[in-house]
Amino acid sequence: MHELSLARDMTRIIGKVLGGCRPLDTVNITIGPLSGISPESLRFCFTEVAKMEGFGEPKLVITETEAKLICLDCNVEYQAKEFYQGCPSCGSFSRRILSGREFTVDSVEIMEGTD
Amino acid sequence: MCDDTTIQIVDISTPVMNKNDRFAASNRELLSGKNIFTLNLISSPGAGKTTLLESMARFFGSKMAVIEGDVQTDRDAERVRKAGCQAWQIETGGSCHLDAEAVNHALGHMDLESDELALLCIENVGNLICPSGYDLGENLKIGLISLPEGDDKILKYPSLFSRISVLIINKMDLLPHIDFDVNRTIDECRSLNPEVMVFTISAKTGEGMEEFCGYLENQFSG
Repeated sequence: MHELSLARDMTRIIGKVLGGCRPLDTVNITIGPLSGISPESLRFCFTEVAKMEGFGEPKLVITETEAKLICLDCNVEYQAKEFYQGCPSCGSFSRRILSGREFTVDSVEIMEGTD
Repeated sequence: MCDDTTIQIVDISTPVMNKNDRFAASNRELLSGKNIFTLNLISSPGAGKTTLLESMARFFGSKMAVIEGDVQTDRDAERVRKAGCQAWQIETGGSCHLDAEAVNHALGHMDLESDELALLCIENVGNLICPSGYDLGENLKIGLISLPEGDDKILKYPSLFSRISVLIINKMDLLPHIDFDVNRTIDECRSLNPEVMVFTISAKTGEGMEEFCGYLENQFSG
Protein backbone atom coordinates (compact mmCIF):
# COMPACT_ATOMS: atom_id res chain seq x y z
CA MET A 1 0.00 0.00 0.00
CA HIS A 2 2.76 2.49 -0.78
CA GLU A 3 0.16 3.81 -3.25
CA LEU A 4 -1.27 5.87 -0.35
CA SER A 5 2.09 7.64 0.08
CA LEU A 6 2.31 8.06 -3.68
CA ALA A 7 -1.20 9.57 -3.85
CA ARG A 8 -0.16 12.10 -1.17
CA ASP A 9 3.00 12.87 -3.16
CA MET A 10 0.82 13.50 -6.22
CA THR A 11 -1.40 16.05 -4.43
CA ARG A 12 1.68 17.71 -2.92
CA ILE A 13 3.19 18.14 -6.39
CA ILE A 14 -0.08 19.41 -7.91
CA GLY A 15 -0.68 21.82 -4.99
CA LYS A 16 2.81 23.21 -5.38
CA VAL A 17 2.39 23.94 -9.09
CA LEU A 18 -1.11 25.42 -8.63
CA GLY A 19 -0.08 27.41 -5.55
CA GLY A 20 -2.73 25.73 -3.38
CA CYS A 21 -5.62 23.34 -3.67
CA ARG A 22 -8.63 23.75 -5.94
CA PRO A 23 -11.19 21.37 -7.44
CA LEU A 24 -9.79 19.54 -10.47
CA ASP A 25 -11.64 18.01 -13.39
CA THR A 26 -8.96 15.57 -14.54
CA VAL A 27 -5.48 14.45 -13.46
CA ASN A 28 -3.28 12.87 -16.16
CA ILE A 29 -0.46 10.59 -15.05
CA THR A 30 1.95 8.08 -16.63
CA ILE A 31 2.94 4.77 -15.05
CA GLY A 32 5.58 2.37 -16.38
CA PRO A 33 4.93 -1.40 -16.18
CA LEU A 34 8.06 -1.98 -14.04
CA SER A 35 7.34 0.81 -11.55
CA GLY A 36 5.92 -1.60 -8.96
CA ILE A 37 2.74 0.51 -8.72
CA SER A 38 -0.73 -0.98 -8.87
CA PRO A 39 -2.88 1.40 -10.99
CA GLU A 40 -6.11 0.16 -9.33
CA SER A 41 -4.73 0.67 -5.85
CA LEU A 42 -3.39 4.11 -6.77
CA ARG A 43 -6.78 5.11 -8.19
CA PHE A 44 -8.50 4.01 -4.97
CA CYS A 45 -6.05 5.96 -2.78
CA PHE A 46 -5.90 9.05 -4.99
CA THR A 47 -9.70 9.43 -5.08
CA GLU A 48 -9.79 9.60 -1.27
CA VAL A 49 -6.70 11.76 -0.83
CA ALA A 50 -7.79 14.28 -3.50
CA LYS A 51 -11.21 14.67 -1.89
CA MET A 52 -9.78 15.03 1.64
CA GLU A 53 -7.23 17.62 0.57
CA GLY A 54 -9.62 19.90 -1.32
CA PHE A 55 -8.97 18.83 -4.92
CA GLY A 56 -12.55 17.64 -5.47
CA GLU A 57 -13.25 14.39 -7.28
CA PRO A 58 -11.11 14.50 -10.43
CA LYS A 59 -10.99 11.77 -13.05
CA LEU A 60 -7.62 10.02 -12.88
CA VAL A 61 -6.45 9.24 -16.41
CA ILE A 62 -3.57 6.76 -16.35
CA THR A 63 -1.34 6.29 -19.39
CA GLU A 64 0.43 2.95 -19.06
CA THR A 65 3.65 2.93 -21.07
CA GLU A 66 5.67 -0.01 -22.38
CA ALA A 67 9.07 -0.84 -20.93
CA LYS A 68 12.16 -0.71 -23.12
CA LEU A 69 14.57 -3.58 -22.54
CA ILE A 70 17.72 -4.92 -24.10
CA CYS A 71 18.32 -8.69 -24.13
CA LEU A 72 21.66 -9.63 -22.56
CA ASP A 73 21.75 -12.94 -24.45
CA CYS A 74 21.09 -11.79 -28.03
CA ASN A 75 21.30 -7.98 -27.80
CA VAL A 76 17.83 -7.42 -29.27
CA GLU A 77 16.10 -4.28 -27.99
CA TYR A 78 12.41 -4.84 -27.31
CA GLN A 79 9.32 -3.45 -25.59
CA ALA A 80 7.22 -5.17 -22.92
CA LYS A 81 3.89 -4.43 -21.25
CA GLU A 82 4.60 -6.50 -18.17
CA PHE A 83 7.49 -7.99 -16.20
CA TYR A 84 7.36 -11.54 -17.50
CA GLN A 85 7.46 -10.75 -21.17
CA GLY A 86 10.81 -12.13 -22.29
CA CYS A 87 12.89 -11.42 -25.35
CA PRO A 88 10.75 -11.95 -28.49
CA SER A 89 13.80 -13.21 -30.33
CA CYS A 90 15.34 -15.80 -27.94
CA GLY A 91 12.89 -15.97 -24.99
CA SER A 92 15.46 -14.94 -22.36
CA PHE A 93 14.50 -12.90 -19.29
CA SER A 94 18.05 -11.78 -18.83
CA ARG A 95 17.93 -8.12 -19.83
CA ARG A 96 18.92 -4.61 -18.97
CA ILE A 97 16.05 -2.25 -18.24
CA LEU A 98 16.27 0.95 -20.31
CA SER A 99 12.91 2.38 -19.19
CA GLY A 100 9.64 1.26 -17.65
CA ARG A 101 9.91 2.45 -14.03
CA GLU A 102 8.59 5.95 -14.69
CA PHE A 103 5.78 7.51 -12.69
CA THR A 104 4.93 11.14 -13.47
CA VAL A 105 2.13 13.61 -12.94
CA ASP A 106 1.76 14.99 -16.48
CA SER A 107 -0.97 17.62 -16.24
CA VAL A 108 -4.22 18.61 -14.57
CA GLU A 109 -7.39 19.94 -16.15
CA ILE A 110 -9.43 22.58 -14.38
CA MET A 111 -13.00 23.47 -15.32
CA GLU A 112 -13.41 27.23 -15.43
CA GLY A 113 -16.91 28.71 -15.36
CA THR A 114 -17.82 32.26 -16.42
CA ASP A 115 -19.96 32.99 -13.39
CA MET B 1 -24.79 26.29 -20.02
CA CYS B 2 -21.88 24.15 -21.07
CA ASP B 3 -20.83 26.90 -23.44
CA ASP B 4 -19.86 29.04 -20.46
CA THR B 5 -17.16 26.69 -19.18
CA THR B 6 -13.68 26.13 -20.46
CA ILE B 7 -11.07 23.59 -19.51
CA GLN B 8 -7.70 24.95 -18.50
CA ILE B 9 -4.85 22.47 -18.83
CA VAL B 10 -1.93 23.01 -16.45
CA ASP B 11 1.33 21.28 -17.30
CA ILE B 12 2.91 19.50 -14.31
CA SER B 13 5.46 17.09 -15.90
CA THR B 14 6.94 16.03 -12.57
CA PRO B 15 8.22 12.57 -11.63
CA VAL B 16 6.46 11.64 -8.38
CA MET B 17 9.67 10.27 -6.85
CA ASN B 18 11.54 13.57 -7.38
CA LYS B 19 11.41 14.62 -3.73
CA ASN B 20 12.53 11.20 -2.49
CA ASP B 21 15.33 11.12 -5.04
CA ARG B 22 16.57 14.58 -3.97
CA PHE B 23 16.79 13.41 -0.35
CA ALA B 24 18.47 10.18 -1.49
CA ALA B 25 21.11 12.18 -3.39
CA SER B 26 21.68 14.36 -0.34
CA ASN B 27 22.04 11.28 1.92
CA ARG B 28 24.47 9.73 -0.54
CA GLU B 29 26.59 12.89 -0.65
CA LEU B 30 26.63 13.22 3.16
CA LEU B 31 27.57 9.56 3.71
CA SER B 32 30.16 9.28 0.96
CA GLY B 33 31.73 12.53 2.26
CA LYS B 34 32.29 10.71 5.55
CA ASN B 35 33.47 7.52 3.82
CA ILE B 36 30.50 5.55 5.13
CA PHE B 37 29.33 2.64 2.97
CA THR B 38 25.56 2.19 3.20
CA LEU B 39 23.28 -0.85 2.85
CA ASN B 40 19.50 -0.94 2.39
CA LEU B 41 18.35 -4.29 3.74
CA ILE B 42 14.93 -5.47 2.51
CA SER B 43 12.99 -8.64 3.35
CA SER B 44 9.61 -9.89 4.49
CA PRO B 45 8.86 -9.75 8.26
CA GLY B 46 10.63 -12.52 10.16
CA ALA B 47 13.27 -13.35 7.54
CA GLY B 48 16.01 -12.52 10.03
CA LYS B 49 17.13 -8.96 9.22
CA THR B 50 17.70 -7.97 12.84
CA THR B 51 19.41 -11.27 13.69
CA LEU B 52 21.70 -10.68 10.70
CA LEU B 53 22.50 -7.17 11.99
CA GLU B 54 23.23 -8.53 15.48
CA SER B 55 25.61 -11.02 13.94
CA MET B 56 27.23 -8.29 11.79
CA ALA B 57 27.53 -6.01 14.85
CA ARG B 58 29.57 -8.71 16.59
CA PHE B 59 31.84 -8.84 13.52
CA PHE B 60 32.20 -5.11 12.82
CA GLY B 61 31.71 -3.59 16.31
CA SER B 62 32.05 0.19 16.33
CA LYS B 63 32.79 0.28 12.57
CA MET B 64 29.06 -0.19 12.04
CA ALA B 65 25.91 1.84 12.76
CA VAL B 66 22.27 0.92 12.12
CA ILE B 67 19.04 2.69 11.21
CA GLU B 68 16.05 0.54 12.04
CA GLY B 69 12.73 0.98 10.25
CA ASP B 70 9.59 -0.43 11.81
CA VAL B 71 5.94 0.46 11.82
CA GLN B 72 5.96 0.51 15.61
CA THR B 73 8.26 -0.04 18.64
CA ASP B 74 12.03 0.41 19.08
CA ARG B 75 12.59 -3.27 19.85
CA ASP B 76 14.96 -3.80 16.94
CA ALA B 77 17.18 -0.78 17.71
CA GLU B 78 17.40 -2.02 21.30
CA ARG B 79 18.50 -5.48 20.11
CA VAL B 80 21.21 -4.06 17.85
CA ARG B 81 22.49 -1.69 20.57
CA LYS B 82 22.84 -4.66 22.90
CA ALA B 83 24.93 -6.38 20.21
CA GLY B 84 27.34 -3.45 20.41
CA CYS B 85 26.64 -0.75 17.84
CA GLN B 86 24.96 2.61 17.49
CA ALA B 87 21.34 2.32 16.36
CA TRP B 88 18.58 4.82 15.57
CA GLN B 89 14.95 3.68 15.31
CA ILE B 90 12.53 5.15 12.78
CA GLU B 91 8.92 4.35 13.66
CA THR B 92 6.96 4.90 10.45
CA GLY B 93 3.63 4.95 12.32
CA GLY B 94 1.83 2.85 9.71
CA SER B 95 3.80 3.45 6.56
CA CYS B 96 4.96 0.26 4.81
CA HIS B 97 8.43 1.45 3.74
CA LEU B 98 11.23 3.86 4.57
CA ASP B 99 11.76 6.90 2.38
CA ALA B 100 14.90 8.96 1.91
CA GLU B 101 13.50 11.92 3.87
CA ALA B 102 12.96 9.76 6.98
CA VAL B 103 16.52 8.43 6.65
CA ASN B 104 17.79 12.01 6.25
CA HIS B 105 16.13 12.99 9.57
CA ALA B 106 17.57 9.89 11.26
CA LEU B 107 21.08 10.78 10.05
CA GLY B 108 20.67 14.16 11.78
CA HIS B 109 20.28 12.35 15.12
CA MET B 110 23.24 10.02 14.73
CA ASP B 111 26.90 10.43 15.54
CA LEU B 112 28.61 10.01 12.17
CA GLU B 113 31.86 11.71 13.12
CA SER B 114 33.85 8.74 14.42
CA ASP B 115 36.79 7.90 12.15
CA GLU B 116 36.12 4.23 12.81
CA LEU B 117 32.59 4.30 11.40
CA ALA B 118 32.66 2.76 7.91
CA LEU B 119 29.35 0.93 7.46
CA LEU B 120 25.73 2.07 7.86
CA CYS B 121 23.03 -0.59 7.63
CA ILE B 122 19.47 0.57 7.06
CA GLU B 123 16.96 -2.12 8.00
CA ASN B 124 13.84 -1.38 5.99
CA VAL B 125 10.27 -2.15 7.10
CA GLY B 126 9.55 -5.88 6.63
CA ASN B 127 7.88 -5.93 3.22
CA LEU B 128 8.92 -7.31 -0.20
CA ILE B 129 6.86 -4.86 -2.25
CA CYS B 130 6.72 -1.25 -1.11
CA PRO B 131 10.38 -0.55 -0.15
CA SER B 132 11.69 -1.67 -3.54
CA GLY B 133 11.10 1.61 -5.41
CA TYR B 134 12.50 3.98 -2.78
CA ASP B 135 16.16 4.92 -3.14
CA LEU B 136 17.42 5.81 0.35
CA GLY B 137 20.89 6.91 -0.75
CA GLU B 138 22.44 3.48 -0.24
CA ASN B 139 25.46 2.01 -2.02
CA LEU B 140 24.02 -1.50 -1.97
CA LYS B 141 20.43 -2.78 -1.99
CA ILE B 142 20.29 -6.21 -0.37
CA GLY B 143 17.37 -8.65 -0.55
CA LEU B 144 17.12 -11.26 2.20
CA ILE B 145 14.95 -14.34 2.07
CA SER B 146 14.83 -17.23 4.51
CA LEU B 147 14.17 -20.93 4.09
CA PRO B 148 10.78 -21.10 5.86
CA GLU B 149 9.35 -18.60 3.34
CA GLY B 150 9.67 -21.16 0.53
CA ASP B 151 11.83 -21.34 -2.59
CA ASP B 152 9.19 -19.86 -4.93
CA LYS B 153 9.31 -16.26 -3.75
CA ILE B 154 11.77 -14.64 -6.14
CA LEU B 155 9.56 -14.51 -9.23
CA LYS B 156 6.57 -13.35 -7.16
CA TYR B 157 8.35 -10.12 -6.23
CA PRO B 158 10.24 -9.10 -9.39
CA SER B 159 10.23 -5.39 -8.56
CA LEU B 160 12.54 -6.05 -5.58
CA PHE B 161 14.62 -8.96 -6.81
CA SER B 162 15.41 -7.29 -10.14
CA ARG B 163 16.82 -4.24 -8.33
CA ILE B 164 19.06 -5.77 -5.66
CA SER B 165 22.83 -6.12 -5.91
CA VAL B 166 23.10 -8.86 -3.27
CA LEU B 167 20.77 -11.75 -2.40
CA ILE B 168 21.16 -13.36 1.02
CA ILE B 169 19.50 -16.71 1.72
CA ASN B 170 19.19 -16.97 5.50
CA LYS B 171 18.35 -19.72 8.03
CA MET B 172 20.48 -22.31 6.17
CA ASP B 173 20.67 -24.23 9.47
CA LEU B 174 17.05 -25.30 8.77
CA LEU B 175 17.89 -26.93 5.41
CA PRO B 176 17.69 -30.54 6.74
CA HIS B 177 14.12 -29.89 7.93
CA ILE B 178 12.63 -27.89 5.07
CA ASP B 179 12.02 -28.56 1.37
CA PHE B 180 13.85 -25.59 -0.06
CA ASP B 181 15.70 -25.75 -3.36
CA VAL B 182 18.57 -23.29 -2.93
CA ASN B 183 19.66 -23.61 -6.57
CA ARG B 184 16.15 -22.83 -7.81
CA THR B 185 16.11 -19.62 -5.79
CA ILE B 186 19.54 -18.57 -7.04
CA ASP B 187 18.72 -19.46 -10.67
CA GLU B 188 15.42 -17.55 -10.57
CA CYS B 189 17.09 -14.50 -9.05
CA ARG B 190 19.85 -14.58 -11.70
CA SER B 191 17.22 -14.87 -14.45
CA LEU B 192 15.87 -11.46 -13.36
CA ASN B 193 19.17 -10.05 -12.33
CA PRO B 194 22.23 -11.68 -13.96
CA GLU B 195 24.83 -9.77 -11.93
CA VAL B 196 23.43 -10.43 -8.43
CA MET B 197 25.88 -11.65 -5.75
CA VAL B 198 24.53 -14.49 -3.59
CA PHE B 199 25.40 -15.48 -0.01
CA THR B 200 23.92 -18.47 1.83
CA ILE B 201 24.10 -17.91 5.56
CA SER B 202 22.68 -18.67 8.96
CA ALA B 203 22.75 -15.44 10.96
CA LYS B 204 21.93 -17.57 14.02
CA THR B 205 24.76 -20.10 13.82
CA GLY B 206 27.21 -17.81 11.99
CA GLU B 207 27.43 -20.06 8.91
CA GLY B 208 28.51 -17.98 5.88
CA MET B 209 28.89 -14.79 7.93
CA GLU B 210 32.64 -14.55 7.45
CA GLU B 211 32.28 -14.64 3.66
CA PHE B 212 29.50 -12.05 3.70
CA CYS B 213 31.21 -9.67 6.14
CA GLY B 214 34.51 -10.12 4.26
CA TYR B 215 32.74 -9.14 1.04
CA LEU B 216 31.37 -5.98 2.70
CA GLU B 217 34.74 -5.13 4.18
CA ASN B 218 36.26 -5.28 0.68
CA GLN B 219 33.55 -2.93 -0.54
CA PHE B 220 34.23 -0.22 2.00
CA SER B 221 37.97 -0.59 2.46
CA GLY B 222 38.39 -0.96 -1.10
